[in-house]
Amino acid sequence: MHSIFIQPVLNFWSGYIRLVTRYPTLGSIFPFIPLLLLWSVVVDAEFFPRSFFPGPADVAKAFYDLSRKGILLAYLEDSVVRLVVGAAAGMFAGVFLGLLVGLNAGFYRALWPILLFFQAIGDIAWLPLLIIWFGFGIKTMTFVIVYTVLFPVVLNTVLGVRSIPLDLHRAAQSLGASRWSILTNVVLPGALPNIMTGLRNGLGYGWRALIAAEMIVGTSGIGFMMFDARRSGSVVEILLGMIILGLLWYAVDALILAPIERATGQRWGMVTQ
Amino acid sequence: MKSLTINNLSKTYFDPYAAKHLTAVHDVSLDVPEGEFVSIVGPSGCGKTTILNMIAGFLPASSGEIIVDGRLVSGPGPDRGVVFQSHALFPWKTVLENVAFGPKMRGVGLKEREAIALDYLALAGLSHAAERYPNELSGGMQQRVGVVRALANEPAVLLMDEPFASVDAQTRMTLQEELTRIWQARRPTILFITHDVPEAVFLANRVVVLSKGRVLEQVEIDLPRPRSWDTMMENETFKQLSARVLQLVRAA
Repeated sequence: MHSIFIQPVLNFWSGYIRLVTRYPTLGSIFPFIPLLLLWSVVVDAEFFPRSFFPGPADVAKAFYDLSRKGILLAYLEDSVVRLVVGAAAGMFAGVFLGLLVGLNAGFYRALWPILLFFQAIGDIAWLPLLIIWFGFGIKTMTFVIVYTVLFPVVLNTVLGVRSIPLDLHRAAQSLGASRWSILTNVVLPGALPNIMTGLRNGLGYGWRALIAAEMIVGTSGIGFMMFDARRSGSVVEILLGMIILGLLWYAVDALILAPIERATGQRWGMVTQ
Repeated sequence: MKSLTINNLSKTYFDPYAAKHLTAVHDVSLDVPEGEFVSIVGPSGCGKTTILNMIAGFLPASSGEIIVDGRLVSGPGPDRGVVFQSHALFPWKTVLENVAFGPKMRGVGLKEREAIALDYLALAGLSHAAERYPNELSGGMQQRVGVVRALANEPAVLLMDEPFASVDAQTRMTLQEELTRIWQARRPTILFITHDVPEAVFLANRVVVLSKGRVLEQVEIDLPRPRSWDTMMENETFKQLSARVLQLVRAA
């Protein structure tokens, strides 16, 4: 007689599993539903004044208002363009430097300790110096983001290059490959899964560093919007900014990083899913 | 003249921990005429892999000379195909791309090199796996692709470094039989390194027993071909030769 009560639950669970297996995106969305409900309930109970702790509906309204005025999109664009430009520069410089250090024992000995040293000096720790050098503005933000993306990419590229089995180099050599062919056919694809890991970390750190930099030295962008909202005491805009940061990372992961990883390292059996 | 000749080859290492020179290979001379199948057998540490690495050009020799196809060896090159124990297939290339890699490096066009690769894959019964990635194959199939990839580049000499040591016993016997069949069909010049005495005797025309970096003895293997394990296991000559080589290796 228990089964009368349990069976529907089992059926529901089975249906849920089948649904999210078929549409993995839904599997990423559903867990937020209870979270949103909890948030609404806490807000509606009025433990805190509404202006202090607004609910999902207020944030949605703020999203609508700011979008309609065009402010949100403009700020979002500013932040994303800074991230893309900075990340691209950091990635190219990082892969290049990583190949150099990974392939050449001399460069490795000379540069590895230095890389570790500067990697440990966090992006934000540079800000006081950068503000003196470059002032409040785009130069400082660009430096911060390139710096933040660069190190994870360099370190992981070096790791990737050095983890390619010696036999693969030898196999390519005895099949007649030139140094250039070995670079393009062995070293780059062999290091790619690690480069992707570096890029993933770099983008994650870079995104955070950018928001922090925008708060301190920015005149536009999501970070600026949130910090500016603090002055006018607009909690709803701060929450909106936070939610956008999280959503944007989801988009970068789902649209860019994950597809590349599925098509390369995971396909080749070099990383486990 | 696709032969391999080694004259007075030696290799000494400096061991920085012991602060002295160690001799891994001592004054080895060897001749592998065109189209012959020679095995080098010996216990681990006897220097057999060091010899192969010097022939392949991966390691410089301390003294002596290696002549392949009439030319002095001074580094790795496509005239010496290598089959590795670790199969060393490129994980990011399909089986077809792996096998076509040597011809690609020679500048053979796409259509032609794929035709070459498919021809060699068919030789090893691998046509169905052409579009798969190495990680999707069994260990035995990976080794077959490794052999075929080296052969497809038509090297003067094929160097094989314990290629079947890490596959299971049944698969190993099948691979050995296939290798003798392929050798009979194409007659490449092969130098095969192994620590497995029956394997060395089963495959080769001649077995070189190596001990402490020196050639201990060379044993001619006068067995009929085609060879299969079903007949070899009952063959008296095979048993006697295996026993003889085993004694030499154990005494080494």
